[in-house]
Amino acid sequence: MTSKAKPFALENLGLRLRVFLFFAALAIGAVGLLCLGLMFGYRRLDAPGSLNAFVQGGVIGSFGVVGLTAAVWYLFDTHVSKPIDVLAGALRARAHADVTAVMDPKTARYLGDLAPAAQATALSLSETRNALAEAVARETTRLSAEKNKLAALLSDVPVGVLLCSADHQLVFYNGMAVDLIGAARKGAAPGLDRKLFDYLREGPIRHAHRRLTETDDPDAASDLLCATRDGGDILAARMRLLPSDGTAAPGYALTLRDVTADLAAHAKREALLAEVLDRVRRPAANLATLLAVLPQGAPTPPDMDAALRQEVNTLSQTITDLAKRTEDGQADLIPRSPLRVADLTDGLRARLEAQGLKLTDQDAPLLLRCDGFEVVSLLAKVALGVAGLLNVKAFDLTVTEDSTDAHLRLGWQGNALRVADLENWLALGLDADVPGITGRHVLTSHATDIWPETLGAGHHAICLPLRMARRTGPRPTPIARAVVYDFDLLGKARNDKIAAQALADLTYVVFDTETTGLLPGQGDEIVQIAAVRIVNGKRVEAEVFDTLVNPGRSIPAASTVVHGITEAMVKDAPGIATAGRDFHKFAEGAVLIAHNAPFDMAFLRRHEPAIGARFDNPILDTVLLSAVVFGQHEDHSLDALTHRLSITIPEEARHTAIGDSLATADAFLKLLPMLQGRGLTNFGAVLTELRRHGRLLKDLN
Amino acid sequence: MPVDGMVKHSVLVVEDEDNIALALDYLLTREGYTHDRVANGGAALARIHAMRPDLVLLDVMLPEMSGYEICQAMRLDPDLAHVKILMMTARGSAIERKKGLALGADGFISKPFELTELRSEVRRLLEG
Repeated sequence: MTSKAKPFALENLGLRLRVFLFFAALAIGAVGLLCLGLMFGYRRLDAPGSLNAFVQGGVIGSFGVVGLTAAVWYLFDTHVSKPIDVLAGALRARAHADVTAVMDPKTARYLGDLAPAAQATALSLSETRNALAEAVARETTRLSAEKNKLAALLSDVPVGVLLCSADHQLVFYNGMAVDLIGAARKGAAPGLDRKLFDYLREGPIRHAHRRLTETDDPDAASDLLCATRDGGDILAARMRLLPSDGTAAPGYALTLRDVTADLAAHAKREALLAEVLDRVRRPAANLATLLAVLPQGAPTPPDMDAALRQEVNTLSQTITDLAKRTEDGQADLIPRSPLRVADLTDGLRARLEAQGLKLTDQDAPLLLRCDGFEVVSLLAKVALGVAGLLNVKAFDLTVTEDSTDAHLRLGWQGNALRVADLENWLALGLDADVPGITGRHVLTSHATDIWPETLGAGHHAICLPLRMARRTGPRPTPIARAVVYDFDLLGKARNDKIAAQALADLTYVVFDTETTGLLPGQGDEIVQIAAVRIVNGKRVEAEVFDTLVNPGRSIPAASTVVHGITEAMVKDAPGIATAGRDFHKFAEGAVLIAHNAPFDMAFLRRHEPAIGARFDNPILDTVLLSAVVFGQHEDHSLDALTHRLSITIPEEARHTAIGDSLATADAFLKLLPMLQGRGLTNFGAVLTELRRHGRLLKDLN
Repeated sequence: MPVDGMVKHSVLVVEDEDNIALALDYLLTREGYTHDRVANGGAALARIHAMRPDLVLLDVMLPEMSGYEICQAMRLDPDLAHVKILMMTARGSAIERKKGLALGADGFISKPFELTELRSEVRRLLEG
């Protein structure tokens, strides 16, 4: 459905304009009648000398009529038209946007019982809504608890899980998947409703999907190998179709596992084995041949002796060399996810405290390649043994780097632990829950060993070396571990013609910038960009863009007072070229929304050449949307708009790019049903309506 | 006891592999050390106490008591503080070396060893 220009009709004009036209017509009519009356009187009097008197009387009378009409119009406009507009806006807000604030009775005090009646209606609506909302809330709480359980479960599964719609748009992803597709590492966070092929190469995935949709078996699964976009990682994936209602093509679930290391280690091992056979076969055959021709019992001739020695030496050196390489390769074969030292310490402390023992530690910023459960169980087993045998109550844990290894030392004050006792504990089962696994198993599978050490001054320890993955920075933001999804996307019909699309179906990126000043044409620059995404009528909590930008110039103190961003804060931030490119990527395919969008867009557009991309997204402006919904006479600042829509912005978030983006997004989400309530359900209709209000912005700026 | 103005050092070999013991016997004789051999880990400590050697050539994998246990026991015994320990292992992995040295061994060599390498290691430990 495309929107056509409406033919001119009185109903299309605003109420206040119509009233104004009515009074203007009244004044013109009254002046006309007055003139007619005077003309009639003048004719009847038939006294040419009195013309001036009649004309003067007519002019005075006309001014009087026009003045009186204008005065009455002004009073009517102030006390009736405007309040009706305000009241209508307020009622719309309550009807569509769930605003419950009490209406100001003073705004419509000349409209008799209308305002109290409207307030009563709104109150009753709000009460009904509250009752309904309570019932819905109870059910929602129950569902959300279940949802949270599911989310927790899926965020913890040790494989990457992705759900995609039939046209390969992301509908769900867990933290492990983010890690595996390398998105977090390359700074391109994944987003709902984005193409899977932004992250993975499409060939094998399309092929598997086609094959599965062609087979008629709903339980069929397809195993495939796929590579990340840059080809750096190879992932083993299993695809399974999602149940569908038969009307649309089915989406699918992908579980991912990184096999890059497995494949490389496997290939290395194969090559090593081939080399072993090749290099051992030759000296062994030579030795056998030499021994076969050696005369039995007689002294060995010197040249034979030299030949034997040479072959034995070659064989021995080959075996030593190969053994060393096997050992080096062994650690690569241990496919273990990295574990933070802090997590390992927490696990061990919990085990020891449950037995009344104390553990002190110094956190080390290291990631260890080990099985956390097994290592904690092993250390706990040894610690309990030490506690029982040597009467120790308190332990300390230190972790130190030792080239590519990390040494874990669990220490205590008291007597030394004998190797024999330690070996005895290692031969026992570690945990009742995993029968058959001994400490020795754990050590072998980690290609390591454990031993007691004497550190001096009655301080003893056991030392456990583990493969260290790498040093680590601060914990990644929780986003990476979260599960992000919107299953409604699975059933969403797509339409490339934005104008005809329903407002609720579009993807929006709501953004805000902070700047060095208000004049982009005179050298002011962006110092911060933040944005949030709205997909399927909901704000996606985990998908946030927020960056400081180095403006390449000084930041005036007056601006810093507003947004709190100092030159020191942006010193190491990316420039607008990089930040703009990242933002462009974040906003790809979405409608851009900002409060007073021309201001922010002016700053961005100036740098399009440096960014290397054009911001050709459709744009909506919440100032204009507010004008459409609440009328032009209202205050459309972000503060006023959010206040009117009962949205609270924490004071500390105000005038930060992210705080204002969130407020704008929430305001937009409340304006959305109000626009729909006015029959503006598709994007084209909204644009047409906005054009009528466009001049307002010029006035505001 | 002094021989030709030199101190004749004593070495105890703790090794269960007869062929290796034979080779070591040959080498130590040629080098002029007083030496003896124990094949069993369980009997090693008693023999060390009785003999008080200057150096123990200690295999890791032994019946009854491992080389690591013997090494630790020696280091926890002040009477044996002066006895040097050279550990020998067939696997010779880096982790074994670390463990041996952590438990108080003075040196560590992997089998098969070059006799020249063993000789220089023994000389280093005995003669400084």
